[in-house]
Amino acid sequence: MSTGSASVRERLVGRYGWIVDQLRFLAGDRLALGGAVVIALFGFLGLFGPLLAPHDPVAYSARTASGSIAVLDAPNLDSWFGTTAFGKDVFSQFLAGARPTLIVGLVGGIGTGVIGFLVGLTSGYFGGYVDELLMRLTDLTFSLPLTPMALLLLTFVRPNVWLIALIIMLFLWKMPARVVRSEVLAVKNRTFVRSARASGAGHLRTMFYHIAPNVLATGFLYTAYGIAWSISLQASLAFLGFGDPTATSWGRMLRQVFASGAIRVAWWWVLPPAIGIAAVTTSVFLIGRRYEERINPEIQSSQ
Amino acid sequence: MSDFQRFLVKRTAIAAVLTLVAISVIFVILRLLPGSPFETLITTGNLTPEQAQEIIAAYGLNEPILQQYIKYVENLLTFQFGYSIRRSQPVWAILGPRLLNTLLLLIPALITTAVLSSLLGMYAGWNRGSITEKLSIVVTTFLRSTPVFITAIFLLIVFGYQLGLVPTFGMRSLTASPDGLIETYLSVDFLHHYVLPFTVAVLFYSGDFLLLARNGVVEKKGSAFLKLHEAKGLTEVEQLLRAGRNSLLPIITYFALRLGMVFQGLILLEVVFAWPGIGRLLVVAIRQQDYPLIQAAVFIMALAVIVMNLVADSLYEYLDPTVSTTGGGT
Repeated sequence: MSTGSASVRERLVGRYGWIVDQLRFLAGDRLALGGAVVIALFGFLGLFGPLLAPHDPVAYSARTASGSIAVLDAPNLDSWFGTTAFGKDVFSQFLAGARPTLIVGLVGGIGTGVIGFLVGLTSGYFGGYVDELLMRLTDLTFSLPLTPMALLLLTFVRPNVWLIALIIMLFLWKMPARVVRSEVLAVKNRTFVRSARASGAGHLRTMFYHIAPNVLATGFLYTAYGIAWSISLQASLAFLGFGDPTATSWGRMLRQVFASGAIRVAWWWVLPPAIGIAAVTTSVFLIGRRYEERINPEIQSSQ
Repeated sequence: MSDFQRFLVKRTAIAAVLTLVAISVIFVILRLLPGSPFETLITTGNLTPEQAQEIIAAYGLNEPILQQYIKYVENLLTFQFGYSIRRSQPVWAILGPRLLNTLLLLIPALITTAVLSSLLGMYAGWNRGSITEKLSIVVTTFLRSTPVFITAIFLLIVFGYQLGLVPTFGMRSLTASPDGLIETYLSVDFLHHYVLPFTVAVLFYSGDFLLLARNGVVEKKGSAFLKLHEAKGLTEVEQLLRAGRNSLLPIITYFALRLGMVFQGLILLEVVFAWPGIGRLLVVAIRQQDYPLIQAAVFIMALAVIVMNLVADSLYEYLDPTVSTTGGGT
């Protein structure tokens, strides 16, 4: 992909065309398209949610007509999604809560994809001792139980969103690493790779110019799955009380409604964050499935 | 020595080393944790500093770190887990019943879902493009991607709080004081508490089995050996069973891997339903910094995964020798 001579405008059109292509591909499957819409909404919330929130999610307290704090109000005109057991506006918390969810999802997911891709590529390409060493390392991360280890680590450092993202990627890179490795093994003995080596291409050049493009699709797919896993894990940790104590996140909202006992009555406090998390993770997997079918056409759902 | 035996020896050795490394990682993390459970006991006035010194000595925490480490490894490998700091009870006495509760909940759930959703998956794969197939894919995608505590909360609200059909808390009624295993686990009360967590666990595990079975059948459907069977005049069901048998290998190995993870419990499921299992115990132990309890729980979890990984790898190698041990990777 040489864009050296292309003008900025052509490049923009090229990029725009790429997005249109992707959307057209996703539109071929109603579920994947629905997923894309949900993800776009979620991204929008992550970027602008805290700005759109009508009230401060933590500081503001809703008041009743008589001036006392409105505790556990059902949805009404003042607070569209009702209020919490502490008189906070659920709608504002929901809008603000998308951001930490998005940050951990993106950072954790992309980190997972990049580390896994590089490890898989190196391991598959060099083979031998390098492969043995890296694969035993993935075995180790497989054998350390993820949630318990994350809980342990989060007790000795004050949790924040970046740290949680880091812990997630430290444990999840093993997934793409194994799959990418097995694909590299299939690609590396093909003729064009051999001839590149024979004509004097160095290791790095062969790895990144000749092999990597052929396994890139899998790398992207697992990055997407990594995002879903990260969101899910972040929400789980927050629900257990090991999340960032300063951030309003969907997982933390669920923890509060559960811990306060209000879960018995306050469905309006439970549903927004619960549906938010479920919708986003499911959407990522529906889109991922569409791409998986492209990579492996044999499993397509419509003939 | 046959190839398989050599494979087995190598893999077992690797598993042993992994176990040791995992134990060491746990040790290091626990030593790095700031504060100690004793500090809280001293500051709350439950222990005088002198008593604390005595107890620290009794736990061997004043010895050189290397000596502590060797003792720790020895103890774990011989399943001598020692005494809980916060509960003044042997760790096994606390851990054993919790582990049993977790296994009683999750192993039946895993077996149920492995059988049912694999069959459903095969059916879906055989009837490509059908409503059953599309619906099953959407539903299981939802169930496997959504964190388990959210599914649990949804069902808890509907069946527990709104419809009031099942209890929402614990494994037995608060008033129940059963004696012995049979009274604890063989009762209507237990079953009543069991049904919802069991259902959520089945739903949570279902997705992967269904997709594995479906993809297996779909991949086999166009292949030559099935055309032969068709030509021989086998019925659809007979063909499906043959295609299914051929996609059983990934399902079996996946089952083994999942079985290894069962020992960690579905921590979040146990927390939502207040199920007295090992996952929920671990969360409490971490909050209380009860080292011996944490060590033992995490060790059991890691060991189970390592052993079942070994079993899964060996099964794969044994049942399908064409998959090379170094080439497959997945």
